[in-house]
Amino acid sequence: MNGGKFTLEAVEWDPWLAPVEAATATSKQRAALDASPQANSPYFRTLAHDVDSLAQRSPLFHSVMYVPRGLKRAERELATVVVSIINGCVYCSSVHARRFVELTRQPEVIQALYDHGLDTPLPPRMHAIVDYAAKLTREPAAMTVADLTPLRNVGMDDLEILDLTNAAAMFANANRLMQTLGEPIAPPPQS
Amino acid sequence: MVEPSTDPDLMNAIIGAAPGSPLAELRAQRPDILRHTQGSHDVLLSPDDPGGLSLAERALVARRVAELSGHVALSNHYQVLLNTRGAPPPNPRTTTILTHAERLATAPGTATKAHLATLTAAGLSARDIVALTQLVAFVAYQVRVAVGLALLAQEKAA
Repeated sequence: MNGGKFTLEAVEWDPWLAPVEAATATSKQRAALDASPQANSPYFRTLAHDVDSLAQRSPLFHSVMYVPRGLKRAERELATVVVSIINGCVYCSSVHARRFVELTRQPEVIQALYDHGLDTPLPPRMHAIVDYAAKLTREPAAMTVADLTPLRNVGMDDLEILDLTNAAAMFANANRLMQTLGEPIAPPPQS
Repeated sequence: MVEPSTDPDLMNAIIGAAPGSPLAELRAQRPDILRHTQGSHDVLLSPDDPGGLSLAERALVARRVAELSGHVALSNHYQVLLNTRGAPPPNPRTTTILTHAERLATAPGTATKAHLATLTAAGLSARDIVALTQLVAFVAYQVRVAVGLALLAQEKAA
């Protein structure tokens, strides 16, 4: 599954288009960047070329990942890692695997997914999340109501399933932006 | 040109969630997600200033991505939009845009910097390329949200 490329180490991202520069950003671009998680990152400055879509997407992403109640944050992060592994987004999987580990102190879960693939044995609730996110990513048109049964069997309510769906869907989106507007690079050596 | 009237919330229309239905009430618990999902659709499909990616090209790309994802209702939605706007001419530029959109939809891991150069050579600016990428990425998101919501709706109807 891994081929050694997915990591729990920090990764950086190198854009294939020249990002918008802070000095020449319009006031609208500056506002959209300020509402993004990292206004100075090359990624958000690249997205700022189409400012209106960035201005919608940043609050969408934020709400999907952080809105209170419903699915636990760590479980949203787990779903995004699964989607990123399937799509091959090394950058996204690194960032969100690290968030999962910060929240759970369970790097072994991520390492098992990286090393042994998405069928690796996991506790039932995590396993149900992994399976649902994987199928929604790979073959959305093949999903049936039976795909909800494993989630119900581990006690998920409607809001949790909605949050899980939104998190997996958001990374169908995030991976495509990250993978097709630039590429992951190793961080510069620590000085 | 008159655009087809859009339901105030496209996702509810696509999944058939009437106002006050359990699904509409569930979605309403996530108001920012509702607002910015619709808002993303609106600025990507019907921007005030489409720049160098025409409204017809945007409808064509969205329809193709929905179709490749196997989502009939969203394919039909974008087909109606495309019919209203008129299909872009079948020329090398349109082919270049569609080929790139198909790659992003089905195999995003195969994209390279050279593909962006091809788009630039076809006349797309940096903004147009980002808008095209956001559009494909948005429909990939939209399809999966629609699928998940439809499962919840079917479960309740059973």
